[in-house]
Amino acid sequence: MSDFEASTPLARDGRAPNVFREGGWTPMRQYSETEEVDFAIVGTGAGGGTLAARLAEKGFSVVAFDAGPFFRPLEDFASDEESQSKLYWLDERIVDGADPLVMGGNNSGKCVGGSTVHFAMVSLRFRPEHFKARTLLGYGADWPVDWREMWGYYDQVERALSISGPLSYPWGPARPAYPYRPHPMNACAQAMAVGCEHMGMKWAPMPLATVSAPRGESPPCVQRGFCRFGCSTNAKQSALVVWIPRALKAGAEVRDLAMVGRVELGSGGQVTGLHYHREGAWRFQKAKNVVVAGYAIETPRLLLNSACPDAPDGLANSSGLVGKYLMTQPNQGVFGRTKEESRWYKGPPILCVSEHWNYCDDKNFPGGYTLMSQGPMPQEWVNIQVGARKLWGSDLRHAMLDYNHMVGMKVVGEGLPSVHNSVTLADEVDQYGLRIPRITYSWTEGDKALIAHSMDQMQGCLEGANATDIFRQEQDTNHLNGTARMGDDPRTSVVNPDGRTWDHPNLWVCDGSTFPTTGGVNPSLTIQAMALRTADRIEALAARGEL
Amino acid sequence: MLHGASAMLGASVLADSAVEHYRGSFDNPGMYTPLVVSAVTMAAGIDGASGQWLPRRMRDGMYALSGAVGAIGVGFHTYNVLRRPGGLNWLNAFYAAPIGAPAALSLAGAIGLAADEIAETSHPDRLKLFGIPVGRALSAFTALGLMGTVSEAGLMHFRGSFQNPFMWLPVSLPPIAAALTAKAAIEPAGERDGRPMTRSWLWLTSAMGIAGVGFHAFGVSRAMGGWRNWSQNVVDGPPLPAPPSFSALAIAALAALRLRDLEDA
Repeated sequence: MSDFEASTPLARDGRAPNVFREGGWTPMRQYSETEEVDFAIVGTGAGGGTLAARLAEKGFSVVAFDAGPFFRPLEDFASDEESQSKLYWLDERIVDGADPLVMGGNNSGKCVGGSTVHFAMVSLRFRPEHFKARTLLGYGADWPVDWREMWGYYDQVERALSISGPLSYPWGPARPAYPYRPHPMNACAQAMAVGCEHMGMKWAPMPLATVSAPRGESPPCVQRGFCRFGCSTNAKQSALVVWIPRALKAGAEVRDLAMVGRVELGSGGQVTGLHYHREGAWRFQKAKNVVVAGYAIETPRLLLNSACPDAPDGLANSSGLVGKYLMTQPNQGVFGRTKEESRWYKGPPILCVSEHWNYCDDKNFPGGYTLMSQGPMPQEWVNIQVGARKLWGSDLRHAMLDYNHMVGMKVVGEGLPSVHNSVTLADEVDQYGLRIPRITYSWTEGDKALIAHSMDQMQGCLEGANATDIFRQEQDTNHLNGTARMGDDPRTSVVNPDGRTWDHPNLWVCDGSTFPTTGGVNPSLTIQAMALRTADRIEALAARGEL
Repeated sequence: MLHGASAMLGASVLADSAVEHYRGSFDNPGMYTPLVVSAVTMAAGIDGASGQWLPRRMRDGMYALSGAVGAIGVGFHTYNVLRRPGGLNWLNAFYAAPIGAPAALSLAGAIGLAADEIAETSHPDRLKLFGIPVGRALSAFTALGLMGTVSEAGLMHFRGSFQNPFMWLPVSLPPIAAALTAKAAIEPAGERDGRPMTRSWLWLTSAMGIAGVGFHAFGVSRAMGGWRNWSQNVVDGPPLPAPPSFSALAIAALAALRLRDLEDA
């Protein structure tokens, strides 16, 4: 896609791209900017995309905005890591703190469907106790929702995405069998399984949001392995191929290449709509409700950038907590070489899981973590060689020749909430003239203990699988959460359990930024489950006239 | 008719193992064996059903080879499952070598051997296999074979999450045919009504086996790239040659019923 095309919206003139057809279109209802729509949603990923579909299906008028383009995977996605960086949010940011975050592919997305377009499809549930980590386990914070209710919504999301997973899951309370059967485990996943058995840990095939059999217009996964750079077959059940088509069918409008810069606050603490930039001009959409679903960086940035005389510290910020408690998840890796060829890039990148250290409380650190097998693509692998091992020249070349013999594991850990980790506004402005975010992050002592523990465990697994030349990738992070946390108390939280901001009754947040803790698992399933819950709550409130 | 069933089963194994073992890159040289042996079985079946140019001892040798190789194949496939992490679990049952598949070769060999036994005698109604009247023995044998094939189709369709409702057919029609055939094997002599119900279900099962090729062809079309990408999707999609093994076993069962009728007479 040329720069010119990328600057021209496709969702317009009563139609939107049909993601299942090369060059195809699907009819789209459109709303005028002067029409006060029921919901204007900022972001179309796991939070916004899911909510747009459900609210439209419940009969609300919905316009969803995304700063990025509307791709058709069949024609727009190449088997090329570099080219596919077009899926990430690579606009300028300032990162600082003791452990500055690397922003990009691991923690952002900029296209319709958000980062689910390039996520690794890992679809795990929170451990029930993790929703009450403060009360039951003594760290972090409590969620203001009951785990049984959340697990009910997990059921719904798993069915909506036809998650392919094991028939019985080794950890936690009984859950229904996953709708689709698990994918085969590649050599790297099998090595992890052997290692887990050596370490006395259970393992299972990873529950994944890519179908193992045909489903609707999605063909079964062909194990191509480029999942994290955009699935070009539509086997991946991203928001782009699951929720967005449902939203359009139910009458929602999607505006691509539409950067929302400010939410307008009217009188009486109510918001009146939003200002967005599209096709070279700033525009205004009137709305009865605004939902911010821009994830843990862009959500607080928008709320802070919307400061006005009636809300000088930014919208929804009477608690002073907008942008605070930014969390990430440790994503360190350990890698080794096997005698047999492993070809670990085959199939989805993560095919084996162990949640042992989420469910075992006999440990010397707060929080939990998940271990998973890992199969990086070649360019990622070069980056790890250069970054973590500092290899260069002939050493690098020599190491790369072992690519087909490597196995590896990664951790997704529960980074602890700290009020010192935050998103604030820098003075510089971006291409839209909006102040850019400053992202401040440092590991806590608890995080460091978790990371050290997980790397020892991964090393033990790889040794148990007879891997040699084992080395550690000591620095890596992925998912972000926090910055608009939910709670029961307006003084200590930004939104209530429904995602409704305490300060403005018609301003909502629906994404990972509402998480009080990150749990020890990848967040996408929980974000979607929360979006389903928010949609149901909005419907119930509307029925009672309390919207 | 029994020789024909053997040939058909042999052909099904030949095509299926060729595709599946090619998919497995003939990682172990032993993976060529079923291709050769099933071709031999097919040849024996065709010879037996048509001109019978080969001497009987040679044909029986070919059938016996098929029976033995099928049994060895079950052993190899079991080893392949057990050596994977987790051993005998759902994941390995889905994706490791299918344990039951090589047994089809044994079935083809055994049916062929029985066919030659029957052709040899002028009184098939008095012929016995393992001390059991041949009609009863073959009825029981084909009923078992049908149920084995049902298990394999059931496992594979479960792996495919029964995503298309027609995937329930091979786990619902043939078990009834197999039960009726088993009933024919054990019920007392003297049932002389020709067993129209059993025959109908067997014909239905046989027709389903042929229709299955069409359903599987549709399945191939639903994979990425559809039939335009046949070289990958035929290998990776639902196996086109698998469903006719139902037809082959149903036809063998129909032949067994004829013998049962003679025994009853």
